[in-house]
Amino acid sequence: MNPFRRISNVSLCLFIAGALTATGQTPAAKKAAGFRLPAEITGAMNVLAGKYPALVRMEVIGKSAGGRDIPMLRLAGAGKPEGRPAVLVAANVEGGHVIGTEAALRMAEKILDGYAKDQTLLDTRTVFIAPLLNPDGMEAYFAAVRTGRFGNGRSVDEDADGAMDEDGFEDLNKDGMITRMRVKDPEGKWIPDPKEPRLLRLADPKKAEKGIFKVYTEGTDNDGDGQYNEDPPGGVQLNRNYPHDFEYFVKTAGLYPVSEPESIALLNFMEVHPEIGLVLSFSSENTILNQQQTAQAKAGGDKVRVPKDLAGYIGLEADRDYSLKEIAAAANAAGLGGGMEITEEMIAGFLGQGPAVQIDQADQPMFEAAAKDYKDMLKTAKMEGLEKHARGVGKGSFAAYVYFQYGVPVFSADLWQVPEAKKEEPADKITADKLKEMTDEQFLALGEEKIAAFLKDVGAPPNMTAKVIMEAVKGGKLKTAQMAEMLAKMPKKPGADGEDHPDAYKLKWSDTALKGTGFAPWTPFKHPQLGDVEIGGFAPDFGLNPPPEEMEGAIAAHVDFYLKLMDNLPVLEITGLKAEPLGGDTYKLTALFSNTGKWPTSTAQGRRARTAWPIRVSLVLDKAQTLFSGQPTVSIPLLSGGETKKLEWTIRAAKGSNITVRAWTPKLGTVASTVVMN
Amino acid sequence: MNKKTFFTTIGAAMILLTGLLGLQPGLQAAEKVTLSFDHWYDNAAIAKALMDLQAAYPQLLAVTSIGKSVQGRDIWAAVINNPKTGPADRKPGYYIDGNIHGNEIQGGEVALYTVNYLLKNYGKTEFATRLVDRLVFYVIPTMNPDSRDFYIHQAADPNSPRTGWFPIDDDRDGLKDEDPPEDLDGDGSITMMRKRDPLGRWRTSPDDPRLMVPVKPGEKGEWTMLGEEGIDNDGDGLLNEDGPGSYDMNRNFGYNWQPEYVQGGAGPYPFRWPETKAVRDFILAHPNILGAQSYHNFGGMILRGPGAKNLGDYNPADIRVFDEIAKRGEKIIPGYTYTVVYRDMYTVYGGTIDFMYANLGIFCFSNELDTDLVAEMSPKKEGEDEGVMAMLGREENLDEMIFRDNVEMGEHYTAWKSYKHPLYGDIEIGGAGKFSARVPPLFKLAETCHRNAAFSLYHADQMPVAAFEAISVKKLEGGVFQVDVHVTNAKITPTISAQAVSQKLHRPDRIVVGGKNAALLAVGEIQDRFLDRTFPVKSIKNTFDVDGGVPGRGRREFRLLVKGSGAVTLTFESLKGGTAEKTIELK
Repeated sequence: MNPFRRISNVSLCLFIAGALTATGQTPAAKKAAGFRLPAEITGAMNVLAGKYPALVRMEVIGKSAGGRDIPMLRLAGAGKPEGRPAVLVAANVEGGHVIGTEAALRMAEKILDGYAKDQTLLDTRTVFIAPLLNPDGMEAYFAAVRTGRFGNGRSVDEDADGAMDEDGFEDLNKDGMITRMRVKDPEGKWIPDPKEPRLLRLADPKKAEKGIFKVYTEGTDNDGDGQYNEDPPGGVQLNRNYPHDFEYFVKTAGLYPVSEPESIALLNFMEVHPEIGLVLSFSSENTILNQQQTAQAKAGGDKVRVPKDLAGYIGLEADRDYSLKEIAAAANAAGLGGGMEITEEMIAGFLGQGPAVQIDQADQPMFEAAAKDYKDMLKTAKMEGLEKHARGVGKGSFAAYVYFQYGVPVFSADLWQVPEAKKEEPADKITADKLKEMTDEQFLALGEEKIAAFLKDVGAPPNMTAKVIMEAVKGGKLKTAQMAEMLAKMPKKPGADGEDHPDAYKLKWSDTALKGTGFAPWTPFKHPQLGDVEIGGFAPDFGLNPPPEEMEGAIAAHVDFYLKLMDNLPVLEITGLKAEPLGGDTYKLTALFSNTGKWPTSTAQGRRARTAWPIRVSLVLDKAQTLFSGQPTVSIPLLSGGETKKLEWTIRAAKGSNITVRAWTPKLGTVASTVVMN
Repeated sequence: MNKKTFFTTIGAAMILLTGLLGLQPGLQAAEKVTLSFDHWYDNAAIAKALMDLQAAYPQLLAVTSIGKSVQGRDIWAAVINNPKTGPADRKPGYYIDGNIHGNEIQGGEVALYTVNYLLKNYGKTEFATRLVDRLVFYVIPTMNPDSRDFYIHQAADPNSPRTGWFPIDDDRDGLKDEDPPEDLDGDGSITMMRKRDPLGRWRTSPDDPRLMVPVKPGEKGEWTMLGEEGIDNDGDGLLNEDGPGSYDMNRNFGYNWQPEYVQGGAGPYPFRWPETKAVRDFILAHPNILGAQSYHNFGGMILRGPGAKNLGDYNPADIRVFDEIAKRGEKIIPGYTYTVVYRDMYTVYGGTIDFMYANLGIFCFSNELDTDLVAEMSPKKEGEDEGVMAMLGREENLDEMIFRDNVEMGEHYTAWKSYKHPLYGDIEIGGAGKFSARVPPLFKLAETCHRNAAFSLYHADQMPVAAFEAISVKKLEGGVFQVDVHVTNAKITPTISAQAVSQKLHRPDRIVVGGKNAALLAVGEIQDRFLDRTFPVKSIKNTFDVDGGVPGRGRREFRLLVKGSGAVTLTFESLKGGTAEKTIELK
């Protein structure tokens, strides 16, 4: 792969994802900074298991591509943990997000230390904690030379030349990290930023700027193919290897979804533990603050065309769009199923409609409520800065898989971001944030001039004039809040009109908080192939993990937040059961099934994906009892938070005999109640 | 249709050619192996046939178990390679599998027939000899031995078991595979149950008392259909709602895989089951595979992907290759139609053939073996669409009964018989048996085997033959030679698929200049032979890439500047498209 393109393409570039921060320290220094090596993490887990033998079970769920164990803790209180609803805490799928690993361990410690005081959590739920889901990648984080790459141990032929890992980085200037090389070149496209010359940006030909530098990653062309470091060691990036919106043909995402032993181990674990009803993740993604998804819904949503042959048969027109519901209805009316009901799902499958790509509307309230609490927490903890740089899920991400396919609520927090000093803005300046709070009327009342200034400020495309926007809002085609969200997500043009370089605040922070260790100053170097170059730039893993003084606070706040989130989990109860005699050994049996928790018993996406289970209600009858009306087993697809549903049966049974009603789903366990016929 | 028995032909050929075969080692045993294609081979019989062939042709055939099924059966692979013509990884590979869907068993026989055919005819016919000498064949007769054996030996129906045997809780009651169908009447098949019911939606057909027709408004009903034979094993009020497995291994492959709610049967992630895993590993271990065939049933189709439209059609340059080979296939197997899965059939995400093509750059077909013999008895009605009719389930008709009675002579039909059902009381059980559809009647099996093998071997024969041609050497000043090299490919298939080139799936083809005293100074691709124009080609250490490979029935022309003297060996090395070598003298 052309390394130049790779560098310039920020959105796809994990280098840069890695390059988001800063501790210019050696492995030993990192340890001192509070981050522990994989072996120490496993050791700490064993210590916990030894300290709380009644509560902790340690297991190894698989091995990494590099042959390392993937450990998992099961925390469970008194009684039988099997069948209890469970929460999975997953950390550091990305390998280099070591603060996530620490946070997951801290969570385990807090739960266990707190058990003596309050047994509620562990006596009613199981908590699985997986702090080390990418041990190879984490090992790479602590390597003697930091590369910013945290792939697993699989070898990947990234440049498809038939050789594996034959052109890796070299730490030419021996500073323990791989940064960038800039070379003066007539074809160069990069120039120093005028306000912060240590940072580079693309020359803008519209401003008659001429490029000066070509930029490479640090190293030599080992295989003589004219490219630099295009096939370094260190394989698949595990957080791109999960099966929702997987990106094919990207070598470091894997040959196909779930190709890696680490991904397989985690998914197999989740498969044999269908009781997992919530996943709390620590990763560089913050899905609580940023719910942006990787794929756009198709225009027209559910409306589809019906192939001619089928359309003719079921009485629809071939050149019109129909909803799946309409097609299913027409197919059923035409008797297409031969007695079997044709569902929307079957039509979607037959017509090749794809998977869901957006969070289901019905699930939004749950995520919105959590986001609100989270923002309050961040405010209290003085960590509002997380919001601005919160990253959504990437393609093939674990968190996206959990929501869209495993079908349970998932939250991922990044824990920390490089702090950005707030710019002083005039009080009456319109910002995207202010816009979000406005009603449509308030927005229109701002007037064309102010709106135009705002649009210019956020860099809206030229066709989005104040007039067009105002008409759209007036006509109800656009909501003010919607627009605010859209505009807030637009990328800022780097260096435009005297704007600061987008990375300027990071550099400033490195200069002050890290005393300059997050950025290697450009230093001349005699390169064996390129001649005179300068080596420098951000540390390859800049911004991924905080310095020691910021770590514990971030972890503590998040651990508390996650623990509190668990209070929302649904709880299944039988809140009423009675048998009324109708005379002649006939009884009317009435049972009430309640969800006494705050969240629904399943997500809408889980129901769509068919990985959420309905609540299965069954009657336990003896041989002498017969069912007159009602079914022996009934499915309740959903109980919303606080909701109660009533089921009734009419039963022929001897006086004094018992009937037991059971309700079960693997996600909520079993509840049962018995009533005597009287 | 031509019913010439080819057994006779083969027998005659064997006698005629005994002398020739006698020249080959291992021949004595070879004569003892006689496979016949008038019956079904279960997994043990497939293994025995392959082992016997291996004993007879030890120099050409290697049989290995590539893994075990859910129930622990071996999945057998046969590799045909002639080591005397070079190591396997230097030749194009052709891969054949069958029977991934457990009930679609005849793919196993076709695959076995192909192995047998190549070995028996090696040294006898120019065609078979040429194929065995220049290609490697990788053949997995059955990918799903558990369901194959179940279908052959246990009570099944024509459509199942399609699945593998990893237990799945289909009805979400916490139990797995606890309520399968049962062969209540003991006829060896799962047929249908009906109950006499004046309110039923069916009545006896006036034309044949064994058939039923739907009641029209105002008519009185006679029967209610109760579905397939079986009881309510778990007492939940439902019959046969949780049978074995219930997934589809041909939706479990790694390209354009989609979750269950988008693609039923896909499983929780690609290659979830031991069978799909074993086949994946086998294919990945043989990167020289360039052509492939994956046998299914049924409907008489030569399929190519893609299975779904969301990620786009195949690369246009590759489509031309598929088109040309499949068009010939329509002539080799009359009645079979060249079909694009997503466009002409239905949507398949995560299918075998798309993984082969899109992720690995293999030209892979899937033949839907056998056509509907009953439908062929009567001409198609004007305006009737087969796809829709197939969805509807063709109304049982009188033709079918003629076929059951007078062609099959009753072998695959069980007349309605009364039965005391534990839940429904007095019912009747009957209908067509498991071998009545989708698999060919045995009198047709040999033809199915031969014609489909013929097509796949035609496809295999179209694997590239790379060769150096028209090499000219011109002496320049200073011990430098200008060498013009043509690499040609006489076959339809290119040495590398356009898919592999455009998605960088694997290494490009390359030419290595070897020789003690040879140094490759520069390379150009000849643009205009007459005006002496070339495009620059990058070379590294006496090697240069032939980016894009050698097209089907095409050539690539390069001009090399070589410094040196004496013998220089040019080697064309393609990962999938084979190798070619030529030695020249610099003087």
